[in-house]
Amino acid sequence: MREPTPTVYVVDDDPDVLKAIERLLESIGLQVAAFSSPHRFLESCDGNAPGCVVLDLALPGLNGLDVQRVLEQRGSALPIVFLTGRGDIAASVQAMKHGAADFLTKPVDDTALIAAIREALARNRVLRPAHMERERIAKCLATLTGRERQVLELIVAGRLNKEIAVELGATEKTIKFHRGNLMRKMGVRVVADLVKLAERAGVGATPRT
Amino acid sequence: MSSGWRANSALDNSDAMNWVEITWTMMISASLMLGVVHLFVWRKQRSQYANLLFFVLAASAAAYGAYELARMQAETPADLAVNARWSHVPLAAFVISAVGFVRLYFDAGRLWLAWTVIGVRLAALALNFLTGVNVNFREVTALDHLQLWGGAVVSAPVGIPNPWAIVPQLSNLLLVVFIVDASVTLWRRGGDVARRRAALVGGSLALCIITAASIAALVVTGVVHAPTVLMPGFFVVTLAMGYELVWDLAAAAQLSAQLRASEQRFRAVVESVPAAILLVDDGGSITLANAQAEAVFGYPRAELLAQPLEMLIPERFRIAHSGLRSDYARDPRTRTMGAGRELFACRKGGGEIPVEVALSPLPVEDGLFVLVSVVDVTERRNAERATARQRDDFAHLSRVAMLGELSGSLAHELNQPLTAILSNAQAAQRFLAQSPPRVDKLAEILADIVKSDRRAEAVIQRLRSLLRKEESQRHPLDINEVVEESIRLMRSDLLSRQVEVRTDLADALPPVSGDRNQLQQVLLNFVINGCDAMDGQERDRRLLVQTRATANGNVEVCVVDGGGGIPAADLERIFEPFVTTKATGMGLGLAICRSIVDAHGGRLWATSNPDRGATLHCELPAMRD
Repeated sequence: MREPTPTVYVVDDDPDVLKAIERLLESIGLQVAAFSSPHRFLESCDGNAPGCVVLDLALPGLNGLDVQRVLEQRGSALPIVFLTGRGDIAASVQAMKHGAADFLTKPVDDTALIAAIREALARNRVLRPAHMERERIAKCLATLTGRERQVLELIVAGRLNKEIAVELGATEKTIKFHRGNLMRKMGVRVVADLVKLAERAGVGATPRT
Repeated sequence: MSSGWRANSALDNSDAMNWVEITWTMMISASLMLGVVHLFVWRKQRSQYANLLFFVLAASAAAYGAYELARMQAETPADLAVNARWSHVPLAAFVISAVGFVRLYFDAGRLWLAWTVIGVRLAALALNFLTGVNVNFREVTALDHLQLWGGAVVSAPVGIPNPWAIVPQLSNLLLVVFIVDASVTLWRRGGDVARRRAALVGGSLALCIITAASIAALVVTGVVHAPTVLMPGFFVVTLAMGYELVWDLAAAAQLSAQLRASEQRFRAVVESVPAAILLVDDGGSITLANAQAEAVFGYPRAELLAQPLEMLIPERFRIAHSGLRSDYARDPRTRTMGAGRELFACRKGGGEIPVEVALSPLPVEDGLFVLVSVVDVTERRNAERATARQRDDFAHLSRVAMLGELSGSLAHELNQPLTAILSNAQAAQRFLAQSPPRVDKLAEILADIVKSDRRAEAVIQRLRSLLRKEESQRHPLDINEVVEESIRLMRSDLLSRQVEVRTDLADALPPVSGDRNQLQQVLLNFVINGCDAMDGQERDRRLLVQTRATANGNVEVCVVDGGGGIPAADLERIFEPFVTTKATGMGLGLAICRSIVDAHGGRLWATSNPDRGATLHCELPAMRD
């Protein structure tokens, strides 16, 4: 399957800077979507599509860190290259902690910016399949009922049907019924696959209390 | 026949003067002397008509006295009749001058009554010449020769009364009424002098007229055989009036002494005032100058007196000034001259000094004098200038400190166009490196580079201007422009502090006259203060900057914050130096803002918002054309 062309989203409230960076990226043949408002950007970006974000740190209303948090909550796979007018160490540390691809200071040299973008796109290419898999599993998990979810977690924890029945105060037959349903919903036939999926999605990583 | 008079058939022909002659001669000459004295007084003071009337009255009394003396020595009835007829002329003059004197001197008495008395008296005078031998006798048939004490013999008429004698008697009656009425009026007016005058002059005059009228009536009707002796009464009246007039002269002399003392005091005051004092007459000439005037203008007094005031006014103002002077004459009030404008005076040799001038009208008899007091304010102006320079220095220092605080934001303002320029230039390089080179993009890119460069230049200019230390300069400013520029300079700072600024700027505001840098400093300070007030606050980090026209036509800028607010007790204190609510900062910012706005003729104050936070206000006077 051929990858669609990645999009570089550029967000900067200064129209002159925005236009100049857009132009620079176009000069090396990248597909660019430029936004002067963070809200407009958040409305139109697709976190699953291939690409990356060049994000100004100081934005009116919603600053760069806020935008990063929103994307993170949405489960976006777009790596972010931050641009900042000043060397704000606290902000850069926070941005990097939340997985920023890079943190560059304005005025930014073309080679540094282009290198950072290329690296971000590469990272997006690598991460996107796993990310999309996680998305798919998450979608399947979302279809489970509460009971099925409880059963799933106990299976992943390595309990037998009998033990699960005792724990949940149900008959073994009922547990078997739930187990069949959830295996079907998760699209697996053997327990080993189910456990692998659940691990990838992080289910049961935190022990229930 | 009266008991005092004894009939004697022979005249006393002795050469030695008898006592009647002596007494009458003395009374006549005394009256004349008194009268002449007051004639001289009148000659010196033409407005004192009472003195002139008194002279006429005294002279009339003297003349009448002379007739009376001659009459008492008449040898034939015909002589006596002729004498009596002519004696009515001084009598009438006496009555008329008495009426005039009372009216003038008392400033009382009914005018119509006065004219009636005069009219009737003139009628009596006419009848005196037209009927009988005189107005009292139709005919004098004989002479009585009466022997007085001490051997003096006088003649008295015997004859047929003239029925017209009633007319002079009517005049006498009216005269008495007039005098009594005037005296009562004067008496009622009160005051020791007025009452004495009413009693003495009014009383003696009334008594004299009553006596004279009674004697005349008794003699004419033949009830008493005696000469009509009026001179003693007239003399008493003359003495009484003379006394009063002399008293007036004495009082005037006293007054003049007081006046002299008062003038000396006035001069002493004028000399001691620490201002130049000039007294200017209605023609604009200097009539008085004090020692301070000599010092201020550099002219000795002799060169100031009788000179036109305009000599002390710089040439370029002279023509306008004489116009202003006549304006002042039309509306003379005590006031300062040239309100709100700086005035200059010209010293000897042409040097100019800044002055303050106060004017006081001084109405005198012959026109309007103006008392001009001039203070040399050179020292004060110098002090004011030094203060202004110091204020500018402080403002500059505080501005530099404030810009230090904002340096990050300002660097960012420069960084943005630099970023755009770099990226544009590098994009152009890359477009050119392509094969074939894409030159189509170049024009657009270069235009953008130029634009960004201009933008950076504008920031640098503004910064340089704010940092430069220069004397405050006033220009017409659009306050909205100052507000927008200030917010633009702080943009990055506002973003990093996550403060959202909204503006609500009124259209069509009148311009204000101000120093752009200093007013921007005030605005920046306001905004920084608002931001500081909201530090550490999670929500509602909003700032509203408003401009509006005030009810009195001035321009107001408000910065409304949503912070913790200012305690009511501190609303005024925050403008004092070294008062701060912040952990950092000297507490000079707002104090300097206030001194800046004061120097602009505006005012600065703080209010608490109804919901939360505080508002800083700055009102500036609008420029009016």
